[in-house]
Parts: sequence; C-alpha cells; structure tokens
Amino acid sequence: MKKFKVYLIMVFLSSFSLSGISQSLEEIIAKHIEAVGGRSNWEKIQTLRSESVMKAQGADIKFLTVIQNKKASRSDIYVMGMKGFSILTINQGWSFYPWQGQAKSEAMTTDDVKNSQDGLEILDELMTYKEKGNTLDYYGLDDIDGTECHKIKMTTKEEKEVTFFIDPSNFYIIKRTQKVKANGQENESSTFYSDYKKLPEGIVYPMSNSSGWSENEVVKLEINPKIDEALFKPEK
Amino acid sequence: MKKIFLSLLILIIGFSNSKSQVNSAMFGTMKTRQLGPGTMSGRITAIEGVLKDEGKTLYVGSAGGGVWKSTNAGASYKSIFDKYCQSIGAIAINQKNPNIVYVGTGESNMRNTVSIGYGMYKSTDAGDNWKKIGLDSTEHIARIIIHPEYTNIIYVAVPGALWSDSKHRGVYKSSNGGDTWEKIFYIDEQTGCAELLMDPTNPNILFASMWQFRRQPFSFNSGGKTSGLYKSSDGGKTWKEITSGLPPKPFGRIAMNLAPSDPKQMVAIVESAKTGLYISSDGGESWKNQSATMNTCARPFYFSTIVIDPKDSKRVYRPAFQFAYSSDGGYSFTEASGDGGWVHSDMHALWINPFHTNIMYLGTDGGVYMSVDKGVTWQFNHGLPVGQFYHVMYDMKEPYNVYGGLQDNGSWMAPSAAPGGIGNANWDRVGGGDGFWTMPDPDGKVVYSEYQGGNMSRVNLSNMKYDFIQPQKTAKEEKLRWNWNTPIVLGAKNSKNLYVGAQYLYKSTDQGRNWQRISDDLTTNDKNKQKQEDSGGLSEDNTSAENHCTIFTIAESPLDENLIWVGTDDGNLQVSTDAGKTWTNVSGNVAKCGIAKQAWVSSIEPSRFDKNIVYATFENHMYGDHQTYLGKSTDMGKTWFRINDKQFIAYAHKIKEDLVNKNLLFLGTEMGLFATLDAGVSWFKMKNNIPEFLMTRDIQVHPKTHDLIIASHGRGIFILDDIRTIRNLNKDIWEKDVYIFPTPNIVLNNGKMGWGGPETSGGWGEGNPAEHPTIDYYFKERLNSGKVNLEIYDANGNLVQSKPGTIRRGINKIDWNLRGTPPKVAAGGTKMDGAGFTAPMVLPGVYTLKLKVKDKEYISTVNCVHDSDNKDLSLVDRKLIYDKAMALQKLYNLVNSSIDTINYYQTALKEDSVAYKKNKNAIAFNADLQKLKGELMGVKKTSIFADEKRVREKVSELYSNFCYQEAAPNKTQLEAIDDLNKEYDVQNTELQKLFTKHLPKNPELKKKKLD
Repeated sequence: MKKFKVYLIMVFLSSFSLSGISQSLEEIIAKHIEAVGGRSNWEKIQTLRSESVMKAQGADIKFLTVIQNKKASRSDIYVMGMKGFSILTINQGWSFYPWQGQAKSEAMTTDDVKNSQDGLEILDELMTYKEKGNTLDYYGLDDIDGTECHKIKMTTKEEKEVTFFIDPSNFYIIKRTQKVKANGQENESSTFYSDYKKLPEGIVYPMSNSSGWSENEVVKLEINPKIDEALFKPEK
Repeated sequence: MKKIFLSLLILIIGFSNSKSQVNSAMFGTMKTRQLGPGTMSGRITAIEGVLKDEGKTLYVGSAGGGVWKSTNAGASYKSIFDKYCQSIGAIAINQKNPNIVYVGTGESNMRNTVSIGYGMYKSTDAGDNWKKIGLDSTEHIARIIIHPEYTNIIYVAVPGALWSDSKHRGVYKSSNGGDTWEKIFYIDEQTGCAELLMDPTNPNILFASMWQFRRQPFSFNSGGKTSGLYKSSDGGKTWKEITSGLPPKPFGRIAMNLAPSDPKQMVAIVESAKTGLYISSDGGESWKNQSATMNTCARPFYFSTIVIDPKDSKRVYRPAFQFAYSSDGGYSFTEASGDGGWVHSDMHALWINPFHTNIMYLGTDGGVYMSVDKGVTWQFNHGLPVGQFYHVMYDMKEPYNVYGGLQDNGSWMAPSAAPGGIGNANWDRVGGGDGFWTMPDPDGKVVYSEYQGGNMSRVNLSNMKYDFIQPQKTAKEEKLRWNWNTPIVLGAKNSKNLYVGAQYLYKSTDQGRNWQRISDDLTTNDKNKQKQEDSGGLSEDNTSAENHCTIFTIAESPLDENLIWVGTDDGNLQVSTDAGKTWTNVSGNVAKCGIAKQAWVSSIEPSRFDKNIVYATFENHMYGDHQTYLGKSTDMGKTWFRINDKQFIAYAHKIKEDLVNKNLLFLGTEMGLFATLDAGVSWFKMKNNIPEFLMTRDIQVHPKTHDLIIASHGRGIFILDDIRTIRNLNKDIWEKDVYIFPTPNIVLNNGKMGWGGPETSGGWGEGNPAEHPTIDYYFKERLNSGKVNLEIYDANGNLVQSKPGTIRRGINKIDWNLRGTPPKVAAGGTKMDGAGFTAPMVLPGVYTLKLKVKDKEYISTVNCVHDSDNKDLSLVDRKLIYDKAMALQKLYNLVNSSIDTINYYQTALKEDSVAYKKNKNAIAFNADLQKLKGELMGVKKTSIFADEKRVREKVSELYSNFCYQEAAPNKTQLEAIDDLNKEYDVQNTELQKLFTKHLPKNPELKKKKLD
C-alpha cells in the first residue's frame, strides 16, 4: 500500500512537471503571438512590400521585396548600378545575380524551392506550427547576444529544423536559425531581428535584420499593396 | 514569519547583487579567434557513423576537444559539444532513430594526462542540443552500447576513477533511455569495466573486460587479481568469468571484439605476465593463444582497440602503436602502407562503414584518418583542431608568433596573423616527441623546445639546427629528475635569464650554452616516489610520464630578477630573494589556507605591481581531489588566502595577472576559463567563442597587442584580440546605459597582411584580427526597439561615413574601414564596378564620432594618424594621393551623371512603348544615346570573362588604385587622370551635341525636368 502511495505521488509529480514544461512552452508561444500583434491581425495581411537598405563598405545595397501570401515572393536587389533578383513561387524559383557573372536568370533546384517555401508565408511560423503538423521542443534558456533567450526548436514534417530564440523580456524573436538538407548538403543559416515596431495595422514588425555580418534596415513597409503577378516571372 | 521575510530579503538582495556583477554577457562581440590548427590535430577517442545515410554523418569524440560532427564523410567538421565537458570517452548512435545520440564523457585511455568526465549526455536532435543524463561521478567511460531492438536499453562500460578508489565503476544499464541507471556488474572500488561487447544476434549476450588499475602521481599499475573476462547470457543479470584457454591471472586490460557477421568468432588481447592475442570460435567460452607481433600486443593500457570487419570475420584490424590488419582471423598481421603519407602512431578508435567496408575512419593521437582500401593506406582529415597544447608563448615580432608544445605532437610556432588568415600551412614545427614549453628567445633567432623528460634543445630558426642543452648531472649529484613537462622559462624581469628545473634549479645567461645550478634539491626528495622503473604493472611502462619529486613551475618576478619562485610536483613552493643563493619553502604556509599539502604547484604568478604579492595555482587531481586551488599571498608567501568561487568545478592550471589592470586576473582550469575584474572577489566564465569547459592550460597577455592568448589541451590555441576594453571596464562604465570607450589612435594604412588569396592547403583556418582598432561602445541592456547608427565627421563637420551598429547587451564593436562614402554608380552596367564600394582613406586628423541610439546622441573622437612606419609614403604623398583620388571620384561622378542623364532620356523615350515604336525620331535619338552610352561604359560584354573597358571602367580602375595606394604615385598614374578627364570631355561634348540634334525633334521630352 505504501509502495502504491509512493507510486501515485511519483506519477502526480511527473505529470505535474511534464504538464508544467508543456504549459510553459505553450505560454511562451502565446505570449510571443500576442507580442507581435496577435494572429488575427497578421491573418489580414495578404501582400507585403518592403524596401530595405544594407550598408556595405559605406555603400548602400537596396532590396525591394514583395510577398503574395502563400503564393509567391520576389526580391529585387540593386547593387553598384546593377539589378538582380530572386523569385520564388510554390513550385518554381529563379535567381539572377549579374554581379556574380550571370548573364540570365537561373532556375533554383527543386530542393531549394521546397526548402524556401516558408518564405512565402506572411504568418509567423509559430502561429501555424500545430496545424501544419510541425513539432516544437523547448531547450531552456540560451545566451544570444548577451540576452538569455528561450530556445525553441521547430521540426517540420519534412525534417527541416528551425530554432527560435525568444527574448523573455518582450517575447520577440531575436534570432532564427534554420538547418536544411538540400542538394546533398546540410546548410545552417541564421538571421537576427531587432527594432520591432508596432504598425497601424496592429502587427509588430522587426525593422532590422542581420545575417550576422551586415545590417539590413527596412525603410518602407506597405501592408496589403496591389501586386502585379507578372513580377513573379523572370524577365527574359 | 520574520524568518520567511528575512529569507525573501536575502533572496532579493542576493538577486540584485548577482545582477550587478560582471558576467560573460557583458563582453558581447569580443570573440576569440580559434587558431587550431588542424595541422597536427590531437587525440581522438571515439568515432561513430550514422548508418541511415551510409556513413556520411560522423561523430568524432576527442580527448580534450569535445564532440565534432561531419555531414560530409569527413570533408569538414563542426564542433557540437562546446557547452559541455570536453573529454570524451564514448559515443553511441541509436541507428533506428539516429537523432538520438549518447556521449559518455571522460576518456578511458588512462595515460598520465588523461582528463576526467562529467557524466553521460543525450541528444534527441542529432547533436544540436544535449541533456545530462547521469553517471556524473564515473569520471571515465569506455563504451556505450544500445540494444539494437529495444533502443531504450543502454549499457555503459565504466572503468571509473583513475587516481582513487571509487564505487562509481563497473557496468551500468538503463532501460529507459538514460532516465535512470542501475549498476549491473560491480567488483570492487579498484576494478572497472574497460570494454563491453554485445552479440548483435542475441543482445542478451554480453562480454565485459573488468580491469584493476590505478595511477599515482609517481607510478602506474595496470593489472590485478580482480581483472578478468566475463560473460553474461541474460542481459547483464548474471555474469560468469571465462578462463578456458586464457593465460594465468592476474590480468591487466583486455581489448576484445567479436565478428558482427559471425559473433562466435572473437579476438582478444589479454594483458598478463605474457600478454598475448587470443581467439575464440565458440562465442568466448574458450580461447586459444595466437602468435602476435610486438605492435599487436604493445601497451595494452593505451591501445585498447581491436575490430573485426562487419562482413568478413577473418579480417581483423588492430589500431595500436601502428595500424595492423589481418586477413586470416588474427593469425598474422601486416602493418599499413606509408603510401599516401605518414599515419600518426598511437591509435584509439576505428569505425568501419558497414555498407562499404573498404571505407574506415581511424582515430589517433594526431587526428582522424580515412581509408578507402580496407586500412592499407590512409588520408588525413585536416579539419579537426583538437590539438592538446600544454603551454603557449609569444614573441615581439609583427605580427607576433605563438609557440607551444602538444601531447604527442611536438612543438610548433605560427603567426598570429597571416595573408589570407591563419591556415594549417602556417604552422612550423620546432620540436618533436611530446612538446611542452616552447620559449622564443628575445633575440628573435632562437627557440627553446623540449620533448618529454626534459630533453631540451636550442633551435636556431635560421637553419633549424637543434643543439641539445639539457644540464647533465655531475659526479657528486644524484640522478637528475626531470618532469614529463619540464619547465623552461625566461626571466620576466631579465629575459636573458633562462631557467630550467630538475630537482635543482638551473640558470643560464648565454642561451643554455652554460648552466649554473642555483639551488639544492627543492623537492621533498621522497624516495618512495622515485621508483619509476617499477611502474606499469603487468606491462612495464616508464616513459618519464611518472617522473616525480621534480620542479614543475618556475617564475622570476617581473619587478626583481633576484626574486625567484619555484613550485614542485610534490607540494613544495620555494622562494629566493637573492637570485637562488638561499631558498625558503613556504608550502607549510600555503597548506594553512586549506590547499592540499602535496598538490602540484601548477603555476606561479608574481605580481608586476607589488613584489610582495604572488598568486599560485595548485592541483591535486592525481590524489583524486578535483578542487580548484588558487592562492594569493601579499607578504611574499608568509601567509596565504584561498580564492574560490562556486563556478569553479575542476583543478586549476594557470593564474595570470593582467599587465595593466591589477584587478584583472584570468584563471585556467581543467573545465573552463574564468576572469575577474575585482582581484578575485567575483568571477565570470569566459564564453566568447570559447568552449565552456575548455581545458585551459596556459594564458598569456601580449604586451604590445594586448591580446589574450590561451593554450587549451584539446582545442588548440585561442586569441582574444585586444582586451583593452575588458581591461578598462569598471563599475562606473557598466552602470551607464551607454558608453563609448576611448578609441586608441588609428594608424592609417590598409593593414599589414595583404589579401593572401584563398587558402589552398585545406583544413582548419581562422581569420586575422581587425586591421585597425575598432570603435567600441557599451550597452547596459539590449536595445529592443530603435536603431543604432555611428556617424563619423571630419574636422570641418562633413559627414565622412555612416554605419549601423549592433544593439547587444555589453560591448559592441564597429569596424570602420577608415574611408569616406563611396560614389553612387549609375545603372546600366553589365559587370560589377568596384568603385561603388570604394572611397579614399581619410587624411590624418581628429574625427568626431556620433553614436546615435534611438533619439539620443553620444559623442566621442578618434585620432587617425599617418603611418610613419611606411617609408614608401610621406605625409605629402598621402595628401597628394587623397586629392587625386577625390579628383577621380569627382570625374567618376560626372561620368555617372552623364550615364544617368542618358538613362533618363532613354526611359522617357520608351515610356509609351507603342508610341515609341512608331516614332522614328525617338528611335534615332535612343540609338544615338545607346551608342554614346557604350562609349561611356561597357554595355555589350556580359560575360565576366570578356573585358570591355570604356570611360567609366577606366576611371573606376584608376580611382580604386589611388584609393588603395600606399606609395607615391608614379608620373604615368598622374598623367592618366588628365587623359581620362579629356576622354570624358569628348564624350560629354558628344552628349550635348545629341541634345542639340535630337531634342528639337522630340518636343515632348523638353517638358521633362532633368535632375
């Protein structure tokens, strides 16, 4: 009988601690969603156009990016008097970087197209992970740029891994790392986010991002602009 | 109630205190450079491959450098265990779900310098994240086996503590994936499990090699009556000892394995009075002795690996002193070919790809090798920087060189910066054997290096001749006792003084050509600790590793060359104030502050600020005591107090006082590097690109560059460039919200390393330090919203350049390229035009720094000075170059303005494409514009392999040359500027003519306003 009681207590304690961890993760996600403006506000956004500038050696590199939610995206890049672009749709993608010697646009590989699809979605990945069948794991706190952040890893059904680092003081994502296996290679890349601003539409958006070696500053952001779908085909 | 309130108050005060302390997060963007190298790599203890991807994913465990993962079959590796114990004993992959990986910390190659572990770890996401899962006190783990079917069942072979009795050894089992553990086979406190096998066809059958062993600081014993070979047929519930056919006991360490394709076929190397190779054909029930070569049976305590091919039970591999293979089940062995290069001796791990058994990976004292021909020839993996340095030193050259010796890998030197960065090819050998102290003489031509047991040489760097300089005993003296790691030290006050220590201290003032003995025996001279010839146990093993009662540490005061400190490996700390004429043993005073009496004196740091102050570290792990012993005396050793911190968890190797800030100290331990800014009151762990459990053996601060140089025993050399920001950090600063540190004078040049080109030797590489001092600022907290921007203004208030800044908590750094803002580039080119990223270097002068943080502005200045070291460039020439570069920038802007104008009209002409196609005048105007544009810049050749130089390309090239010129320009360069101006004038005149010709015919364009 005594043993049974001890067992019950252990079961109670373990279930408590497990539910505690689970609840904690859910709470973090909920607070993050609230912090960035709530899902309903984000769901109203179907197109997005941004203009951003990156500084390199004192020179400006300009990016014009448009996203049509869940359908397509395009980034035009202006550097040293030249213009290049990258285009992504649900099943195709192209890039044209003349400064690298390309004379015409080149098709992305099937793997690259597949692994870049999350870039087509305007909605925060942490808002939709459940309905997509992705899983989250919580790995405690980790130091990112001097801030102890919640470390949350999302594994997609396709085994893509994305790790989010969330600042506990405001529940903003300050770093996102993704690891993808494509074209027989495993690649990891990280983006750092900062300067979160609340927009009239109710969403909170990071106006700066960085790959770690250069800052990209958003200078103009349009919510739900009209977008010509012809943009999502490469120029001939 | 009152008590609760008090507790809460204490908690709150404690919390607020801890918040105010310095911590590693404050050092933000200051990150070490990991020099590695991969040139000689280091000791490898475990290699496992993932079967799911046919062995493309590999995990490699090292003796002191953690776990490394390759996802490309060894072409490159990434460290994945930086937050945990760096000594790795075993790795196991759950092949049914290869995301699950287990790591057992604590290497089990029980040499004198082996480190200790911190338990078992588990990853469920292929090594990205790890969780500690117990067995914390086991210290050494030899093998982890996962049940092939029920993968939550795990067995762990634990040899256990090397230096002391311990109950934490034997065979452990978990039935729940490591959540809980049960010790299923235990003999006694001296006997652990050195090897564990599982029959893959019947996982209930296990074999355990039980090993009685013990090290003391002065001897090693392998073997005893409790060693033996055991078999279980019920998953470890019961065990029976196997003796049939084996030699008479006692046994030492047994290396053994079975054939995966036919598990009844087994091989074993049994250490005994007659160590031999044994084979079994009946699943280990009985054994038969085989003839065996010396290599097959040598040094069983250190070479404990024997492997049978997964598909061919007759193919046996013996990685040992050399690599040997047998094709007849172990009856005869052949040693691997040297074709393809030398393979490092002393081997500890072998993984054979079961799908392609000709492919295998070998772990040695010098890294990982890969074979594609069943071990006949080997190719080195160059990308594993896991070298085990004992010490590091620097010289005063520019760039300075670092010097150090490594476990089984000799002594080396390398530049701290090199063209293109520091790669494997930048390292040069300056000593063989096991390397230790490697000291450059101040004359810049000579290095002192050694191999084990005090075998030291003076190396002439101009011709690489080695002259043996070890002092020899006189007829009246006892045999000299030299430590495995004999100190060779130059005077901190008088660098002409060269000291070396046996049991006596020797001094030379002529580079080791002559020696003066300046002490009697400074050790305890305990004869019971001097029986090294009897060391080894069943196998004699006496390679000077157990030499004892020797001098281990020597330090001359930076303030007084007559003040010399000596520490021994048997607990003596001696001081002389008269250059060695008399000595005082202060070890009794040390012991009074709670430091173990017999502990090795691992480092001594006489203060450079006060002769009476001395710091010393002591380490006692060879008596089973892992405490961190750091002592300080303020009265020249008469009294001591112990400095401790709850973050310290392992024994200490080095204490280093900063050269400028007397309160800044660095402490190197077996598990982590720590620093204090308040003379030891509070400490923080240094994590800036530094593994958190780094085995930190030595620390130096370079007096010219202010770099912190760290020698690790498993991750090579680290350099934290220019620590002046840490040095200058104090409470006044860290309590400010924002603070700009004073920027040192910046010398105007393009750096001193040049480009260097891509690294062609392959393998590990590290970048150079910033070419100029960075502009450093401090944020008390991370900036959550708003931007940071640094604006740089000249003396006239003109904006020179604007740069975004980082926003992290602690120290942030901006690397200004010392240039202005590049010109804008007009659209339409077909190739990259470098001028768009180029501006001339600023002229000497004081520049104002405005750090804009959200809506606040913080002001500082920086003084940029002419590079007077560059004799090719006078100040007058510098100004000339600047003026000419600016003139070319102006010309470049004019060219681009003309192109912009052409672009504008061409766009306007085509604005209505339908109308354009019908308008002959518009088409003619556009054609003329395009033709002229083609004279102003290249518009036809799109291939980067086809040149098309027009005015813009020519101006751009000359402009870029002037921007980077660091010598007086030649006459043709100067004349070319005029020529290009004229060339542009011709084209601009043509442009004006086109307007005159075409604008009247295209009246609608007149309405357009030009910029």
